[in-house]
Amino acid sequence: MDLELASRIEGLLNDPAASCTDMRSALADLYERCRTQQQMLDRLTQISDKYQQAERERGLSYAEQLQRKVRQVEKIVRISDGYQSMLQDLNARLTAISTHDELTGLPNRRYMQERLNQAIAHTTRNGEAFSIALVDIDFFKRINDSAGHAIGDVVLTRVAACMRDSMRDYDICARWGGEEFLILFACCDKQNAAQLAERVRLGVAAIATADLHPGLQLTASIGFTEFLPGEKAIDAALKRADDALYRAKDAGRNCVVGSP
Amino acid sequence: MDNLIIAQSPSSPAIAADWNAGVISMRGDSYPENSFELFQPLIDWVEAYLAKAGRPLHLELELVYLNTSSIRSMMDIFDQMEVAHKKGQTVSARWSYDAANERVGQLAEEFCEDCTFPFSIDVKS
Repeated sequence: MDLELASRIEGLLNDPAASCTDMRSALADLYERCRTQQQMLDRLTQISDKYQQAERERGLSYAEQLQRKVRQVEKIVRISDGYQSMLQDLNARLTAISTHDELTGLPNRRYMQERLNQAIAHTTRNGEAFSIALVDIDFFKRINDSAGHAIGDVVLTRVAACMRDSMRDYDICARWGGEEFLILFACCDKQNAAQLAERVRLGVAAIATADLHPGLQLTASIGFTEFLPGEKAIDAALKRADDALYRAKDAGRNCVVGSP
Repeated sequence: MDNLIIAQSPSSPAIAADWNAGVISMRGDSYPENSFELFQPLIDWVEAYLAKAGRPLHLELELVYLNTSSIRSMMDIFDQMEVAHKKGQTVSARWSYDAANERVGQLAEEFCEDCTFPFSIDVKS
């Protein structure tokens, strides 16, 4: 309330003889003043309410935006995990391809080389014997020539399956060359190797081939040897097994020969 | 506006955006060192096209592997298309994948989950 109006009203209130006209005029001014103030107050309240509402909406939209972002990040993470596991699968497939022979599913030469090195390291540490055997399918070239390469491939896969079946769980057999397989007999001296190799020979001779080609005879020759204490690499043992294999071939095939 | 051509590299896909045809094609793997650098021109192109061209936009994808930041960029592009679609513009996408790699198709499904515009996922013929 402005000072002028206040002092006027105070003057009138203190004056017992104040005229009614003066009082009315002061009351009218006061009433006008009061109404203006009330209008301003209403307007202020309205503005304040609007601000409050706007702030509330802004808060809600922040929360909504944040939720959307969280959902988006979750989705990115999910998809990214998917791609990662896709790469892992691909990696596993490539590893299998690089370590296994495609036709027979047996470990390949590279993988076998690694396993042989591990076996040598193991023997050097623990003195546990191991033996190797080279298995060669007899007259394989003749089978290929007479029955065709497709039948030759079937023969290879059947021999591979037979070897898998006739070996112990902890032995390992690789496709070493065309029709040549190398078996690693773990924890096995020469005497045991002779028995295990004989089991493989019998297994191959028993493979059914009647459905493949008339008169097809399937046998294998095997040369084996024990890895000798003090040897540093597999080469010498491979040479002994190979020589033994030659002797098996010379002896009329379908037999097992050990190195001297 | 010009066409946008980004040549394929071992770590980034071939990208071709044709202004007149209204078609963007992306092929290959995407794991660039700086995915912002790779994708920002494309995101800008899409924004300009949707704002000015007044024609449908089609996205033709043959993407195989995407790293995390590439996934994010692709989602941004799909978001742009989704906004345009909601405004009534014609947009569509097709993601083709090799039958030998079914996982790519499954991941494309995840991308298209929140898109309401036409989005087909097909085995490459």
